[in-house]
Amino acid sequence: MVNTFEETGEILRYRELLRNLVLRDVKIRYKRSALGFLWVMLDPLLMLLIFYAIFAGLFGRSVGQYPAYVMSGLIMWQFFSQGTKVASLAFLQNRNLINKIYLPKAIFPLSVVASSSVHFIFSLIPLFIIMLFSGAKLGLNLVLLPFVVGIVFVFSYGVALTVSTLAVFFHDVIYIYDVLLLGWMYLSAIFYPVSILPWKLQVLMSFNPLYHFISLFRASLYDPSLLTAGHIFSGVAFAVLSLLAGWIIYCRNRDRLIFYL
Amino acid sequence: MIALQGVSVGYRLVEERRRSFQAHVINYIKGRRVKRQTLWALRDISLEIGLGDSLGIIGPNGAGKSTLLKVVSGVIKPAEGRVNVGGKAAPLIELAAGFDDELTGRENIFLNASILGFSRRDIEQRFDRIVDFSELRDFIDTPLKNYSSGMTARLAFSVATEVDPDILIIDEVLAVGDAHFRQKSKERIREFKDRGVIILFVSHDMEQVRSLCNKVLWLDHGRTRMQGGPEEVIAEYEKEVTGDGAVRAFR
Repeated sequence: MVNTFEETGEILRYRELLRNLVLRDVKIRYKRSALGFLWVMLDPLLMLLIFYAIFAGLFGRSVGQYPAYVMSGLIMWQFFSQGTKVASLAFLQNRNLINKIYLPKAIFPLSVVASSSVHFIFSLIPLFIIMLFSGAKLGLNLVLLPFVVGIVFVFSYGVALTVSTLAVFFHDVIYIYDVLLLGWMYLSAIFYPVSILPWKLQVLMSFNPLYHFISLFRASLYDPSLLTAGHIFSGVAFAVLSLLAGWIIYCRNRDRLIFYL
Repeated sequence: MIALQGVSVGYRLVEERRRSFQAHVINYIKGRRVKRQTLWALRDISLEIGLGDSLGIIGPNGAGKSTLLKVVSGVIKPAEGRVNVGGKAAPLIELAAGFDDELTGRENIFLNASILGFSRRDIEQRFDRIVDFSELRDFIDTPLKNYSSGMTARLAFSVATEVDPDILIIDEVLAVGDAHFRQKSKERIREFKDRGVIILFVSHDMEQVRSLCNKVLWLDHGRTRMQGGPEEVIAEYEKEVTGDGAVRAFR
């Protein structure tokens, strides 16, 4: 408990570092390539092209607004998966610093998730363009978007804290998590409608946090029918549980990490 | 003010460090208990340093010198004992650890100063002084990867010493860059000393320890071997290293 308050206060005190770490990520990622920041927009468009070419014939008719459906699923998935995947290395890659200077270590996974959300916000631009062309209309529900981004951020940070802490003790965690993400992606109804799943799997789907997040995201964009109490409640619950678990795991190991880095 | 009371830091050595999850699980199932052994990097260290003191920390490799610096700077929490550090500690350890090659000198100043816990306003206030001291104004918007190692060290030194620390922690690096900058950095450390900043200085160079420190701590296998004025402690240490110790090593 004491740890919690102390560490939160320290992160606040080091907020300038957080800002600089995020800025660095964004700068380095897009400074060197010829098309620069355009890549953040091109990337989801190219992904969409691939998925659309393969799956539009299969699912195009049963899902309304198929391009918007796929693209929203894709960029929401990327937000979570890229953020937590990179964050799994947060302590290991910064071991030089952590070993030499006192810092609130939890700031490293936090900065990775924060950069990931910056990329997410930029990739909303191509999404809006696609929606414009495919005739999906933005509604008033768009005001929910910050809320959706917020709970995914909280959820991702919890997962990032867990994975990055465990990865220090067992390097295998990094690889296990990679495989886990691959399977998780196919189970998250990104490019197919949930209705094609057998009934039993559909029930299991409600235990997939990403399913709720993606549904809420779609609800805020173009499909008000997805805005259900179930999704909202589950989404918030998963986010809180994840943060709680991650924070406890991190705090209990905080002072031990240094001996394994 | 720095006060350490009975501080011990133990590294838990697992007989064969099981980094792999699989090995861990297999051993757990087999019911094999991991044999643990504690290596004490620091054992029962007590010291007190007041304003204006400069403490030299000497001893052979692996004596716990760097671990002691980490305890004072808060990187390591000791397993036992109490640590009381009043004031802001600035480490001059491995100066460039917080730099990023892809960023410019300017961006790195902001990054590195924020690693030391500074707010943006504080950094902006100090920015010109940092650049002036480093004498790198012409290169400040060049990416660090195009700097020479001396230039990088100069920039790092300038950031770390422009932060008005109450405690300055120096691990081996006392002076960096070319002869001219070395002179400048030595002078700056002297200024700190005159201002009453506490200095912790780890070195194998006894001449430097003599000229900078008014107290010396001799560590050996994590324990305090001797503590006192520089002349007496260094004399004893050198006697052991050159006389007795060398003979023992030859046999």
